[in-house]
Amino acid sequence: MFRSTSGTRRVLLALCALLLSLVFVLPKQSRTLLQAVGKPLADVVALPLDALSAADRRIVDLWNSYVALRNVQEENQQLRREIEFLRGQAADLREMAAANQRLGELLRFQARTPSQSVAARVVGRDSSNWYQGVVLDKGERDGIRPEMGVMTLTGAVGRVVKSSGSSSVVLLLTDPNNAVTALVQRTRDEGIIEGTLGGKARMKYIPLLSTVRIGDPVVTSGLTGGFPKGVPVGTITGIQKDEGDLFQTAEVQTEVDFTKLEEVLVVTVPRGGEEPATAPPAEKKKP
Amino acid sequence: MKQWLYVGLVVGLVPIQTTLLEHASVAGIRPDVCLIAVSLIGFFGGPADGVMMGLLLGFEQDLFSAGELGLNLGTKAVIGLLAGMVGRYVAHATPASVVPVMLGLSVCSGLAFVMAGAGGGETLAAVQSVLLPQAVFDTTVGMGLYWLLAERFKKDDSLVS
Repeated sequence: MFRSTSGTRRVLLALCALLLSLVFVLPKQSRTLLQAVGKPLADVVALPLDALSAADRRIVDLWNSYVALRNVQEENQQLRREIEFLRGQAADLREMAAANQRLGELLRFQARTPSQSVAARVVGRDSSNWYQGVVLDKGERDGIRPEMGVMTLTGAVGRVVKSSGSSSVVLLLTDPNNAVTALVQRTRDEGIIEGTLGGKARMKYIPLLSTVRIGDPVVTSGLTGGFPKGVPVGTITGIQKDEGDLFQTAEVQTEVDFTKLEEVLVVTVPRGGEEPATAPPAEKKKP
Repeated sequence: MKQWLYVGLVVGLVPIQTTLLEHASVAGIRPDVCLIAVSLIGFFGGPADGVMMGLLLGFEQDLFSAGELGLNLGTKAVIGLLAGMVGRYVAHATPASVVPVMLGLSVCSGLAFVMAGAGGGETLAAVQSVLLPQAVFDTTVGMGLYWLLAERFKKDDSLVS
């Protein structure tokens, strides 16, 4: 290598040796010189350095972002799971609060009524399409027997037709095979409430001379059907009076929405209290 | 396997019928899954299985129905027997050939209920609003189930006694 060095190279080597000598012999002066020479060089080198640095930062940022994103994604999934869990809990709590409120109203109503009753939950519908019935979660162990009346705080529901140890079947008022004696509250005319295949109710055997009219409330008469006297049944929405008939028939819109039955009271002892002036009002929800 | 399947059906079918099928009702009519199950068991497993499961499921259904006790028991047992006899004498059953069988069985069951007074004396209305819609519903669901089960049970004959 040294054999091939030219004169210029020898000069450069001599300058380097001189510089090193100056650095070691005259350190302060040599630094000032080095700074003066180094500034433009530094400026020149700074350009690619900045570029590389920017690229490096970008790569590092990308890498960090990727890693961070992975962490965020995991955190996101965990948060989503927590949200789902909390939403489920909130729905459960809302459902429990609603059930609690309904049961509270039912118990307050139970305490107000003179008859004795057992609260039960509706757990299913009739197992065939031929009967309009519901299945309750209480049976003979709770004192429920066939022919007992079933009601809610809104009005009459039907009567128990079967009961086993822990469940019972209720035939709804809207079933054609059901018959409950009732009276028109205003005129005191008696009749029999029975259902139709369309899931509605009608009051049959209203005396021909009765002044019954649309809008009249119908209540239980307390004579049969296991109900106390005066339980709301529904409101008359139409009257059918054909020439030659001995009785009138009225269509009745039931007070109870049978598609939304959840809790009911089974009247175990329908002892005869006085008919209430109006239907017992449901407790208003407190804000 | 067959025994466990039958036990599962006895334990689970009526609760499904009384609770979950309410959500599958169309115009208030639900498919009678007990009738469909008894028909298919009779069809695949023979008259004896059909009658036995008809009795069990029918009785269970009676316990959770407002109708007379024994009505479902009797109709389901007869349906199981008829389905079993049909299944025994039909060599090459297809979903299409199951349609008249299922339709006929459901109509027979419905007529038994009408004759027992389930419609409250409104016979024509009962036929129009309950019997026929339910027969169509039962047949549709039954045909679908047959289509799903046919390959499975025809191959290993696990239901054939």
